[in-house]
Amino acid sequence: MKRKLALFGLLLIVSFIWITPVTHVSAAEPIVIGVPTSLGFLEGKEAHKAVQIAVSEINAKGGVNVGGTNRLLKVAAADLRDAAPGVPVPEALLGLEKNILEQKPAAIVVGPFRSEALIAGMDIIAKYKVPMLGTVAMSPTSEKKIKEDPEKYKYIFRTCLNSIFLAKYLAGGMALINKEFGFNKVFVMHQDVAWARAGAGAMKAMFFDKAGWDVLGMEAYPTGSADFSSGLMKARASGAQVIMPIFDMPQSGILVKQWKAMKVPALMFGFISPLAGSQAWKTFDGKIGGGMNCIFEIGNSIASPNVPKSLAFTSKYKQVFGSDIQSGHGVAPAYESVYILAEAIERAGSLDPDAIVAELEKTDRMGVLGRVKYGEGNQAVYGIDPNETAVGAVIQWTEDGKRKIVFPETLANGKIHLPPGLKSMK
Amino acid sequence: MFLGTVVYALINSVILALMAIGFNLTFGISGVANFAYGALYVTAAYVSWMLLNLLKLPYFLSAFISILFTTLLGALMYRFILLRVRGQALSEVIATFGIGLAILELFRYLGFVGFEYTLPVFIDQSFFILGAYVDMQRILIVIFGALLILGLWVFTHHTSLGLAFRGIAQDERTALSLGIDSDWIATLAVSFGAGLAAIAATIIIPLGSISPSEGYSVLIKALAVCIIGGLGSTGGVIVASFIIGFAERFTDSYISSHWTMIVSLAAILIVLIVKPSGLFGEQKELEERI
Repeated sequence: MKRKLALFGLLLIVSFIWITPVTHVSAAEPIVIGVPTSLGFLEGKEAHKAVQIAVSEINAKGGVNVGGTNRLLKVAAADLRDAAPGVPVPEALLGLEKNILEQKPAAIVVGPFRSEALIAGMDIIAKYKVPMLGTVAMSPTSEKKIKEDPEKYKYIFRTCLNSIFLAKYLAGGMALINKEFGFNKVFVMHQDVAWARAGAGAMKAMFFDKAGWDVLGMEAYPTGSADFSSGLMKARASGAQVIMPIFDMPQSGILVKQWKAMKVPALMFGFISPLAGSQAWKTFDGKIGGGMNCIFEIGNSIASPNVPKSLAFTSKYKQVFGSDIQSGHGVAPAYESVYILAEAIERAGSLDPDAIVAELEKTDRMGVLGRVKYGEGNQAVYGIDPNETAVGAVIQWTEDGKRKIVFPETLANGKIHLPPGLKSMK
Repeated sequence: MFLGTVVYALINSVILALMAIGFNLTFGISGVANFAYGALYVTAAYVSWMLLNLLKLPYFLSAFISILFTTLLGALMYRFILLRVRGQALSEVIATFGIGLAILELFRYLGFVGFEYTLPVFIDQSFFILGAYVDMQRILIVIFGALLILGLWVFTHHTSLGLAFRGIAQDERTALSLGIDSDWIATLAVSFGAGLAAIAATIIIPLGSISPSEGYSVLIKALAVCIIGGLGSTGGVIVASFIIGFAERFTDSYISSHWTMIVSLAAILIVLIVKPSGLFGEQKELEERI
């Protein structure tokens, strides 16, 4: 009996010794950052890489100090495929929930690619109370939902710009075009997805109708559309001076090629993913001179010396991955989001989601995007002065294959030039 | 505007026919519904891109090698995988769909995602035809499409191999009794179908870009055309391509581009309700059921 008791005691001691270090190790386990998005699409792929850079930089400095303990960060990515045509929202939501349940992230960055998936997924994020810093989906509907029930949806933040801010940049560019060349007839072609519909609608309501522009047509194209000839013929027949595209699907490159091939005498200014990066010149055989594109956030496919950290980030990206950032959206905000999150965790001193959210709300950080502060509906505020807000930019391709920032004035290093064949109205 | 729409509708129709003709040939001869068809289309494009950009081979040599490679890939796919499940329709669908999925997702996993994945146009010029500018690549698509369909007709009607193809398609047992090796012909049918997918990719991809999702899109378009035209019927494929091609462009121009994709889906639904075997389909058992 004594022997059995001694054996039992020994077992208890061994168990205690065994368990104690395990507890200690688990306290210093890495903080998991979930990256559930469409990893097979350019913006998702490059945003994931940006997160990896930020995480490695933070880890190289010892990690994040959580209540006196330094903890490393760990990335747990999941491909939601929500940007692919035909993938239903519920399938993307399953991927999101799986990422949360299996990886147990302390927070999510990047998040669902399509606004449709984000809006539907907000209930899942609220249910598990996982702070999320979105950097791709752009529909302002998510902010509306947050404002309606702030306690429930307070975990959802957006570091990238939304469709309303996009419309403001496009409006700024259009006003400049009107001022310089007297153009006021526009034909709108947009992807039939929430963010693009919201962007096109906001442009019409907030700018074109008020500024006296003629909107000659608004064509919505389902994701995956591969022929834009009819829309371009309509634009030409109606006498459009500016074509405003809003697309993020890979097939939108066809629109650029058709615009050139069909010799449509109109300036192309809006957002087409394939036009944003340095590679576009080669992709389109140098036939994009004059094309204007909105870079949603500075530090993506273009940087500015007026935002020094954007230059540092883009060159670091090239150094690590061997190629420039090609996306005009979501990449720099993904990088910045990791730092914003890390700082919020350090200030909170814990991984409690409510404490992190309370600190995220207080964010005021000068970084890659300019100055990031979250405003109404937890949306990062975008403007035209990088010392006051986060900033985006409008670029124009020159005839010799360079990209110049033409708007806003605080970042501009060039003026708008009409491509050959287009004449100013002034 | 009307004539311009007709021109682009004609081009759209030929593009659809090119996308579907290989799928139809394989099914018509071997009876295999090759759901890896879209993946083979994308593979051909990526191989061309790699030869052109990584090995710096001349464009037409790259295209030629990629067509040969994809044709061989089709043959290997049949000999090593499909031969084992031939005749079991469900297993064939699962096997080919699985192969297609694996190929496309492998490209995605390996990072073949981005706008730089595109092929150059053959000749960079535009012409003003019937009120609209049309680029030379699209004109070449129409010419290649017409030549390919003509060539396919000559092949199946005036060559011994082509007649063997038709023999197997009409009655496999009788063809066997005449000494035609059905497994060999089926191998060639899958292989030629893959080759046709590669030719289509070589001609069509320069209009846009290469991405894994393009594989799914091509498969859906090929299926839509074949279901409407009637699986296995070349004439049906051509007629269905023109129906969908014209309907899409006219919907674009005169209703709204928002509804364009609905057109082909609605056409499939109507055909399945009215004539389940397709406009020129020969699967009489389907007809007898309604």
